[in-house]
Amino acid sequence: MELLTLLIVLLVALGAGLGVQWLAMCHQTMPTYPQRAPFLGGGLPETHAWNRYHVRYYPMTLLLIAFEMEMMFMYPWAVVYVEQGMKAVMEMGMFLAILSVGIVYGWREGVFKWQ
Amino acid sequence: MIVSELLLPVFVVLATLAVGAYLVGVIDGAIGAALGAPRGQSAWLAPLTQGAWLLTQQANTTEAPDWRAWRLAPALYLALAATGLAVVPWSPTLIPTDLTTSVVLWGSVEALATVVIFLHGWSANTLLALIGAYRYVALGLSYILISMFVLIGVALPAESLQFSQVVASQAEMWNVIRQPLGLPLFLIVGLGMTFWGPFNLADSRDLAGGTASAVSGPPRLVWNLARAAMLVAFSGVAASAFLGGWLGPWLPGPLWMVIKMLVVLAVLLLIGRLVPRVQPERCVTLMWVVLLPLSFIDLIWAGMEALL
Repeated sequence: MELLTLLIVLLVALGAGLGVQWLAMCHQTMPTYPQRAPFLGGGLPETHAWNRYHVRYYPMTLLLIAFEMEMMFMYPWAVVYVEQGMKAVMEMGMFLAILSVGIVYGWREGVFKWQ
Repeated sequence: MIVSELLLPVFVVLATLAVGAYLVGVIDGAIGAALGAPRGQSAWLAPLTQGAWLLTQQANTTEAPDWRAWRLAPALYLALAATGLAVVPWSPTLIPTDLTTSVVLWGSVEALATVVIFLHGWSANTLLALIGAYRYVALGLSYILISMFVLIGVALPAESLQFSQVVASQAEMWNVIRQPLGLPLFLIVGLGMTFWGPFNLADSRDLAGGTASAVSGPPRLVWNLARAAMLVAFSGVAASAFLGGWLGPWLPGPLWMVIKMLVVLAVLLLIGRLVPRVQPERCVTLMWVVLLPLSFIDLIWAGMEALL
C-alpha cells in the first residue's frame, strides 16, 4: 500500500507536469526559424552545442564513486550502530580514514580545481 | 480503508506541493520587497500573475532539441519533488508513505535531481544551457556526499532509516541542538538541490538563464513550479530531520510541521536574496575541502552523542 501510494503520487505529479505543457501548447504554432536560433548574445552558432566539451572536474567524479560505494555500507551500519557500540565506531572510523587519505591526495593533485 | 490509506495521503502531498510552491513565490516576493527590490503588485498576486502569463505565453524552441527529454525534464523534476514530500511525516498517524527506508528514498531523489537537471540543460541543444548543465553536475556530485553524511547522522540516534522514527527519536531534544553542524550543512544542500540563490549555478544570470535560457511559456512554468516544489519538499525533510517534525507543545502535529516548514523556507529564501552566488570554479573545492570534512565531524559528533 505504501509503495502504491508513492507510485500514484509520482505518476500524478509527472502527468500534471506533462499535461500542463501539452494542454497549453497543443494549439500553439511553432516559432519561426530565426526565432529558434540559440541565444548567444547575438552571435551566430558556429558549432553544434553537443560538440566537444571539456569536463574539467572529471577526476572528481571518479573520486565520488568511491564514496558512493561507501554509502551502501553506511545505510545498514546506521541502523545497527547503537547496538554494536564502539565496534561500529572503529570499523567505520578506519574506513572513513582510508577514504579521507584519498581526498587529501586528490586535493594535493588538484582534483578539485577547475581551471 | 482506501480513503484513509490511499486518497488522503495523495491529496495531502499534492495539496502541500501546490500551496507550498505558491507560498515560496509569495515569501520570496515579500523578502525581495522588504530588501528594496522594485515591486509591481502585491506579493500575494504576483506568483499567480506570473504563472498565468507563462501559461499563455508562446513557447520558444531551439532548432533541433531532444524533444522528449526536453519536455520530460521539468515534469520529472516535479515528480521527484512530490516523491520526496511523500516520505515526510505529518503526525504519528498521518504519514503519506511510511517506508522503512525513507531516508534512502530521499537520498535517491537528491541523486536523480542531478540527472534531471542535466537532462534539462542537455536536451535544449544550445550552448549556454549545456554549460549550465555541466556546471550543475559538478555541484550535484559534490553536495550529495555532504547530504548523505548529515542524514546518516540523524539516522544514528533513531537506529532507523525511517523519517517517522527519526522524528520520534527527537522527543527529548531536537537534532538541531544535538547535532549543531547538521542543519546549516543540510540547508546548503537544499540550496544546491534547487540551485537557489548562492548555489544557482545551473540557471544563473551570467549564463542568461543557464539550462532554462531557451525555455519559455508552459515548460518554463512547470520548471519554475518544480523548483519551488522541490524547495517545499526539502523544507519538509529538513523540518522532520532536524527540527523535530510534528513534535511541539499545545498545537496539533501537522500544524507544527507547517510552521517549521515555513521557517525553513523563509530562512532559505532570505539566504537566497542576501548571499551572492559562489564562483563555480571555487564551488567544488569549497564542497570537498571545507564542507565535506565538516560533515565528517558532524557524523562523528552524532555518533558519540548517540552512544553516550
